[in-house]
Amino acid sequence: MKTVNQKAWFFVLPVLLLVAFNALVPIMTVVNYSVQETFGNNQFFWEGLGWFQQLLRSERFHAALGRQFLFTGMILAIEIPLGIVIALSMPKKGFWVPVCLVLMALPMLIPWNVVGSMWNIFTLPGIGLMGYFLNEVLGIPYDMTQQPIAAWITIIVMDVWHWTSLVVLLCYAGLVSIPDAYYQAAKIDGASPWKVFRYIQLPKMRTVLTIAVLLRFMDSFNIYTEPFTLTGGGPGNSTTLLSIDLVKIALGQFDLGPAAAMSLIYFAITLFVSWLFYTLMTRDDQR
Amino acid sequence: MRYLLTFLLLPGTAFAQGWGNVAKQAEPKGFSWTDPLWGGTWMAWTAATAALFIGIFAAMAVLVVLEIRWPGGAERRGILGLTTTRGDRLFITLLGSVYIFLAWLGLTDALLWTPLALAVLWGVFCFWKV
Repeated sequence: MKTVNQKAWFFVLPVLLLVAFNALVPIMTVVNYSVQETFGNNQFFWEGLGWFQQLLRSERFHAALGRQFLFTGMILAIEIPLGIVIALSMPKKGFWVPVCLVLMALPMLIPWNVVGSMWNIFTLPGIGLMGYFLNEVLGIPYDMTQQPIAAWITIIVMDVWHWTSLVVLLCYAGLVSIPDAYYQAAKIDGASPWKVFRYIQLPKMRTVLTIAVLLRFMDSFNIYTEPFTLTGGGPGNSTTLLSIDLVKIALGQFDLGPAAAMSLIYFAITLFVSWLFYTLMTRDDQR
Repeated sequence: MRYLLTFLLLPGTAFAQGWGNVAKQAEPKGFSWTDPLWGGTWMAWTAATAALFIGIFAAMAVLVVLEIRWPGGAERRGILGLTTTRGDRLFITLLGSVYIFLAWLGLTDALLWTPLALAVLWGVFCFWKV
């Protein structure tokens, strides 16, 4: 006889409460703010969909969104292949395994604002090791406080340094779970290293790669702390990503209505792209 | 003399309007979709936004009832090549509606009845074919 036990639902209840307070209540509040205007003191004036209309047509929003997609696209294009290559070249057994794993995990242990400060000092042209070396020793003009290109290179290199490890560790976990029998069969068939990668390792890594791409997309699309500490969105507006612009509107200008509308559009984009990635990358499983 | 008279009559006009009523709007009476509920709290509820969330939660409640009545989520492979359950279809409907409205707001100043109709059609399409 099959017994049905619904008690497990009660164990989910604390999580539901927690999610209600840290996700549901805030998002409802944001929706409420996005259609109203406030000057503080809990006084609200109906605005309708005006903020959305204004925002969707503003040059400033388009520019910030464009920079955000550029940033996310670039770091994904670098971190995912680089992570796979590093994971493939890491030892599978022996003394060096824990050494490599710890070295890989180190950047992820550092708090985000510390990462920003570290790279800020590291790349400052007068005093930073990298900045000084490039400018004074190699003679390459490199100043991330003045040149937009240098600022972009710095934030991208910083993100690659900080987060490639996550891709590496996920891919490595996928790689070590492949049974030896697959490799032996490939050897008997005389498969080239590329064929082994294409038909054994990549398919076996697909699940973890899905997670890696999703995590890196969401994290980099919502990135705030590191570029804010490093460049503060400058020089000019050249590294003002969407989140930095959002905070400027919400806290700098105290325009809570437009900021709420912007958050919702931001959320819709993140939700759609995440859904798209997930659906495309898990579609083959369903066949 | 004429000036003095005018000067003396000025307060009279003010009295006729009522002192302290200058630049004050008449308080609207009755129910309004857009006024703050409960005199304004930090969550800034209005009847309109409350109705939106009630609608979404009601849709989820309907899905729960359907799931209890016919378990399994009515999983099928739709014309987009996706395997979807009822919940997936609701999600795609809502997310698609958001984009329909955002596109409309960004591109035209026209009234919102057209995107509403488009969103309803999109929802029907999702539950029927996707």
